[in-house]
Amino acid sequence: MNPTLLVDIVVGGLITGGIYALVALGLNLQYGLMRVLNVAHGEFLMVGAYLTYSLHTAWGVNPLLTLLVTGPASFGAGLVLHRLLYARVLAAGEAPEALESRSLLLSFGLLFVLQNAALLIWSADLKGYSYLSIPFRFLGSVFPANRLVAAGVALAVSVAFYVFLKRSFTGKAIRALMQDPEGAQLAGINLSRVHGLCFGIGIAMSAVTGSLISMLFELTPFIGLPYTVTALVVVILGGLGNVVGSLLGGLILGLVETASVYLTASDIRLIASYGVLSLILILKPSGLFGR
Amino acid sequence: MALVAAPEILSPYYRSLALAILADVALAVSWAFFSGPSRYLSLATGAFFGAGAYVTAIAGARLPWPLPVLGGALIGCAMALVVGALALRLRGPYFAVFTFGLAELAKHSLIWYETGVTGTVGRLILAPPGPWTLYYTVLCLAGLAVLTALLLRRSRWGYALAGIGADEERAETLGIDTTRVKIGTFALSAAFMGAVGAAMAPRWTYLDPQVFNPFVSFQTVIMALLGGATTVAGPIIGAVFLGLASEILLLKFRYFYMLGLGLTLIVVVLALPSGLSGLAARLRASPSPLPRPQP
Repeated sequence: MNPTLLVDIVVGGLITGGIYALVALGLNLQYGLMRVLNVAHGEFLMVGAYLTYSLHTAWGVNPLLTLLVTGPASFGAGLVLHRLLYARVLAAGEAPEALESRSLLLSFGLLFVLQNAALLIWSADLKGYSYLSIPFRFLGSVFPANRLVAAGVALAVSVAFYVFLKRSFTGKAIRALMQDPEGAQLAGINLSRVHGLCFGIGIAMSAVTGSLISMLFELTPFIGLPYTVTALVVVILGGLGNVVGSLLGGLILGLVETASVYLTASDIRLIASYGVLSLILILKPSGLFGR
Repeated sequence: MALVAAPEILSPYYRSLALAILADVALAVSWAFFSGPSRYLSLATGAFFGAGAYVTAIAGARLPWPLPVLGGALIGCAMALVVGALALRLRGPYFAVFTFGLAELAKHSLIWYETGVTGTVGRLILAPPGPWTLYYTVLCLAGLAVLTALLLRRSRWGYALAGIGADEERAETLGIDTTRVKIGTFALSAAFMGAVGAAMAPRWTYLDPQVFNPFVSFQTVIMALLGGATTVAGPIIGAVFLGLASEILLLKFRYFYMLGLGLTLIVVVLALPSGLSGLAARLRASPSPLPRPQP
């Protein structure tokens, strides 16, 4: 293997992996804390991508600045959705399995709603724009600058969240609830409030990733689901509720996928993802580094 | 009786509408007799349906008619035995995600295989049977599915399955062979789904891997839940209701229909946990206005 190919695979893999890590982190936060498997997670990514596209093409807003819109807007949407849908199901106080199934069905409903709303608003045609697609040379390989920027922002947000979780008071409350919901509530932590906050943060992460992705790829209303699957694989790979696991899992999956595409020269990406997901579920349902 | 005589009096349009609704009934009822009592949320309907359809596409021209349907049932059953042995250990959403992945995995593997090995994208269905034959085949399948659901409810297996749904560990402690009951019923429901796929395939003259459609899985779940998945009548009501709605709305307002379907799912989950049939029972029981769902 020549060194340029190696750089291609490693840097390319880390770029893809950084983006995966951020999507997966959002999903993991929702599942790890609330046991809500949000299969509509990727749809929020899709909506975020379209918002950035619309803001950029209609008013010429810099795509990176749109993060300041998509982030807070999707956070707010997450708070509202949690209040309207998930809080009701979670408050019903059923057996955990029935609860998980119902919240899963809810998010499938959301998936349909968001995807078809996007089809009505933006149509099924490919949409895209060009931003920062200037070549950037690195150790003999060439990468478009927009990919480096996107991956850099994604990693920065992930690390910032990690620091928030470790250092801030709210972060401590979140970790306490993940460890022991009853004990944390006895210590005076408001469960519903933290749930809503985390649901919002999770969705904001997905939407922000979408904004970043819109700089790299063309959009259709169907781009969401593959990212949901990828995020699921990463979450299960890294362990439920394990933030560092999600970060590492995302980077690993990015590297593996990039290598498989470079080395086999065919697009077996989705088959590989579903294959890995099925294998892990069968062999070790609690995840590779699972508790 | 009216359903048996239907093809004699109906115009081709209504015959084909009735055919589609009967297929939905068969799918929803066979989904519900496994997933309703056991509470295992299966999203594999699209995979079994697609596999059955491919049996007709590959072998349909060489075999006399009811045989492809039988082949579809066998392949659905075989797939379910393998998947069940692997996946029915998974609980809660993992099982749902696994079965959902199954249809996508089958679709993408088939696309990869067809483009890479056989060099085709889709297959033509040659010499399809006549429309009446199709109608009676699907009518039989729907009837058989309803009969199976009725028999299962009052059988030891049905009770065992409900016991698994209520508390699997307790059921096991009580001496129920949970693995056998789960896999057996799952395979039986998959046999129906494969058979329906095989019987519906001739409706399209051209078949490609997109027939492994996750939408089929969701629509089946929504139909069964809308009607009420724990009764026999529920899935039938749901299938007829949504079948008619989709016929009226799907072609003209495709995206609005799908959007509405998503909203329906959300409302059913939040407000009607036992579906329309449960609602009817509650209305009969109390003439007073419905109790509001507890927030």
